Amino acid sequence: VFLRESWSCAQSIVVRQGSALQGPRVKLIEQAADLYAQTKDYSFEAKAAEEHAKLLKVQQDLEAATGQPIFVDSSVSDTIRTCITLGNHRAAQRIRTDFKVSDKRFYWLKIFALAMTKNWDALEKF
Amino acid sequence: MAQIPSLDHAPINLSALREQAQKELIQILSSVRGKKVLVLDPKLSGPLALVAQPSLLKENGVENLYHLSADPVASECKNVIYLMRPRMGLMKLISSQIQQDNIQKLQKNYTVVFLPRRTIICEKVLEEEGILGSVTILEYPLYLIPFDEDVLSLELDMAFKETKVDGDLSALWYLGRAITLLQAQFGVIPNIKGKGKAAVQVADILNRMQREQMPDANAAVVTPEIDTMILIDRQVDLVTPMCWQLTYEGLIDEFLTISNGAVELDPTIMGIAQSGVKKAKVPLNSSDKLYRELRDLNFGVVGQVLRNKATSMKQDYNDVTGGGPQHQSVSELKDFVKKLNALPELTRHTNIAQHLSTFTTKSKFLTRLSIEQTLVEGLSYDISFEFVEEMIHRQEPITSVLRLLVLLSLTSGGLQKKHFDYLRREVLHTYGFEHMFTLSNLEKAGLLKKQEAKSSWQNIKRGFRLVVEDQDDANPTDVSYVYSGYAPLSIRLVQHALKGGWKAVDEVFKLLPGQSFDRKQGSQADQSVLSRDGSAREGSVTADSAPAVDGRRAVVLVVFIGGVTYAEISALRFLGAQEGMKYDFVIATTKLINGTSLLKSMVEES
Repeated sequence: VFLRESWSCAQSIVVRQGSALQGPRVKLIEQAADLYAQTKDYSFEAKAAEEHAKLLKVQQDLEAATGQPIFVDSSVSDTIRTCITLGNHRAAQRIRTDFKVSDKRFYWLKIFALAMTKNWDALEKF
Repeated sequence: MAQIPSLDHAPINLSALREQAQKELIQILSSVRGKKVLVLDPKLSGPLALVAQPSLLKENGVENLYHLSADPVASECKNVIYLMRPRMGLMKLISSQIQQDNIQKLQKNYTVVFLPRRTIICEKVLEEEGILGSVTILEYPLYLIPFDEDVLSLELDMAFKETKVDGDLSALWYLGRAITLLQAQFGVIPNIKGKGKAAVQVADILNRMQREQMPDANAAVVTPEIDTMILIDRQVDLVTPMCWQLTYEGLIDEFLTISNGAVELDPTIMGIAQSGVKKAKVPLNSSDKLYRELRDLNFGVVGQVLRNKATSMKQDYNDVTGGGPQHQSVSELKDFVKKLNALPELTRHTNIAQHLSTFTTKSKFLTRLSIEQTLVEGLSYDISFEFVEEMIHRQEPITSVLRLLVLLSLTSGGLQKKHFDYLRREVLHTYGFEHMFTLSNLEKAGLLKKQEAKSSWQNIKRGFRLVVEDQDDANPTDVSYVYSGYAPLSIRLVQHALKGGWKAVDEVFKLLPGQSFDRKQGSQADQSVLSRDGSAREGSVTADSAPAVDGRRAVVLVVFIGGVTYAEISALRFLGAQEGMKYDFVIATTKLINGTSLLKSMVEES
């Protein structure tokens, strides 16, 4: 069990460093998730790796859509924030439901993002 | 002002230790003939500055100093000395530099000096890179670096993580070696007590080293200057470093970060409103008399003390000017001028204290402090949980969040299962999935866990009297003043160790992780006694050792394996200053830490 875990860890480390090629990276993380899933003790890790892969895919799509390389390698919260800052509320909502972000966290993010862009009107309405 | 602390008043002769280190450094430098450049491991330049002044390097032919980086050394100099910790990453950098030189067909002499010693793995890396043949390899056995009259450190910043997470015990070996060298200089320490796994490991290493070098009867001849050594594994008391230190020195470290006995300050803090001035380095050690007075005080009192000083100085000034010259004797004037010499120090610390108070008066700081205090008292799990949750949602710095999270986990015997997964997920979502490794490191080190049994913290707290009510921070009677009401567990252990052994608190003692032991090693004793002692671990609690016969106070060496905080040092100094205390304390550690720096070592770098 321990061996398997450390192997997948090592793999994801390799994965993190080889950032240029996004395709293989997602695959490797998915592999890691599978490895974690093979034992019961690491269900949390398995799920996290799964979400990580999902997040990377979403981020790649966003980057393709906006043409700005600002999404990959930021966290879930940061991604939501960036979306709101850019005024892309629909994407933000989608990530929110995809990753089951709690209301509390989402509202904090929204307030921060709106305040940062000085979007006082939206903040008022909200 | 010299950054090298004065060691004249040290309870044991630490200057000798430093002189030895200087001598060895000179030896290494002069082994390479001619002019040379010194390339330093960036992490070593600070500690090295505490051992040798730049002038000493210059006198021995060092033309220039560089930090090792990916860029090649821009110097014509033919002799290059690399002074490095034995780390593989550094070896790679050295190799690439030498290879670049080779491509440019530059003929140079290379020397790699390992501190404190060479390792096979590093030589292997050099060999694989094909440059082992072209470098001379030396060792610079610098272990403990004197930071002050009573503080020694190995400056191994990853020691805690390496021993507890990676299972790499080399830091413990270094510590054992360091103590062995201390014993060679100051005599074999007769009493050794310890608590925690790493303490046992270090004691075993010590034993082995002792046996190996027994034929050298030299050490046995020296009368022991150190009476007792207390080894404490940081893992036994992780709560203390997670709390905010509330001493003057501790707060400077928390907010401004003390590194290598100095703090870097923005010139604006010091009241010099010049732009473009580089940060000023202010040395903080006992050579600064005022600092010596202030450092260990609770910060709440520092302002008052400074004010008193300033008023008394003003009073003196009025006396001098108001009285008219005819009433003054020359000696009075002389006294006054002497006091004026202390003025720069007074200004400096007033400025620093003022700057600190901009942090401490913020409501954010106060709220957090009160959360910490309720946690230590073991109350209100729910409020603290919500507080941590909100911190994550506000995306506050991860080390700051983790610090409180760890404290919550430690004092409540782990997080409730649903919260455990929930908070871990929130952390990953907020700070990125790469922190999966951070979280797993924390778990391995026992800093974070899932609640399984009922928390034993309440019993520990009561058994060691960790929370002391009604403490007057201005006139403290107990060490708890350094955390305004919380007495560091580690210091309580030291107190108990000196007060007739650890039997008295046996019950609660078992609640703390790791074995404890109490052994003797004789300076007069021969080898057979030693080995018997080695096997007779645990038990055999002996009567409290008699204080030194010649009226001098016995010296106690307290060794913190895995780091010590400034507030803990203050607490020990406070103990040492108590009336009727029979002991002088000297502190040795692997690294001077605070909660933030300890957690930083847990956050894996990608």
